[in-house]
Amino acid sequence: MTYFSYENSPYEIRDDIKDAHKKFWVSLSQAGNWWSGKERVAIAQEVRNANSCEFCRARKDALSPYTFMGEHSHSKNLPIVAVDAVHRIITDQHRITQQYVNNNVTTGLPYSHYVELIGIAVAVFSIDEFNRGLGIALETLPRPCQGDPDNYQPEQVVKDIAFVPMLPANGAKGAESDLWHKDQTANVLRALTLVPNALRDWKALSTAQYLSIEGMGNFIGQKDRAINRMQMELIAGRVSSYNECFY
Amino acid sequence: MLRVSANKTESDIDINMIMGSEGESHSDIQYAHELMQFAGSLASRDESALKVARDELLSQAGPRVLVDAAGVAANFQRMVRIADAAGIPVDSNDNEISNQVRSDLDLYKFDQSA
Repeated sequence: MTYFSYENSPYEIRDDIKDAHKKFWVSLSQAGNWWSGKERVAIAQEVRNANSCEFCRARKDALSPYTFMGEHSHSKNLPIVAVDAVHRIITDQHRITQQYVNNNVTTGLPYSHYVELIGIAVAVFSIDEFNRGLGIALETLPRPCQGDPDNYQPEQVVKDIAFVPMLPANGAKGAESDLWHKDQTANVLRALTLVPNALRDWKALSTAQYLSIEGMGNFIGQKDRAINRMQMELIAGRVSSYNECFY
Repeated sequence: MLRVSANKTESDIDINMIMGSEGESHSDIQYAHELMQFAGSLASRDESALKVARDELLSQAGPRVLVDAAGVAANFQRMVRIADAAGIPVDSNDNEISNQVRSDLDLYKFDQSA
């Protein structure tokens, strides 16, 4: 099956966006570092379930999201702790706490699995949001591939300023030397580096939908885009303000 | 980033536009109103408003602008969730432009901005 042909789109979609979405769908279907292909696709399904989950809707309105009990609408293909993490990331992300993440570690969602889950959930959500923004039907989820996770984890990760361990700012070395090219970097680039491929997916999608890391140094605008940098940042700022994002 | 880009291009903007102020009406940003409506309705998940905003942006700016705007908006729907789910702090508070923008937007009133 050909994914992201956008044949039914009333608007022409740039080829680099199509390619980035297709590439992520292939990655989604395959075993990662900590989840199988089947589990990764199940995480993607939970992203979609979260958007129509009545429990999430009610919990978002609750004063205290950690004492509000109920049951998610879910597909029953993942442990409940993982279902809850996906649903929170999609519907109530700014109330995620260190304590919540730590408690999950003791109930079956180690940092490594959680970080890979974040990477999958946000990428699928972003691709779906692109389609929703254009009024286009969501793409069918890919068929999972066979294979086992390889349990790869960079040796140099540290637990310092975030909820999860990350590579240090000067830690893009060895197998991770492609992640950034200086001995310093932004925290948002470090965020998912417990699972380096999650950052690689992040960068690939961002390059098509927004800008590459290198392109972020161009404050005027790229010739291959129909909107200039000010227009991009206006959109970025508006979306971020709705999400109460101070980053 | 908006402030830096505006400074770089010597453009006139009101940074409070991103909070939904009417400054959009006198900024140097082309299609500012339509882009703001589109981004806001997407992020707020107001489907009827999104349809209106999409149609308006399409009619005023054309399909290429609409597609690129959808890409940027979708990207930033993701970025906030990465930051919040991983619990990363803002990198540094010693940057002059960054501090000025936070002050202009009155962001220090929120605990999460610290």
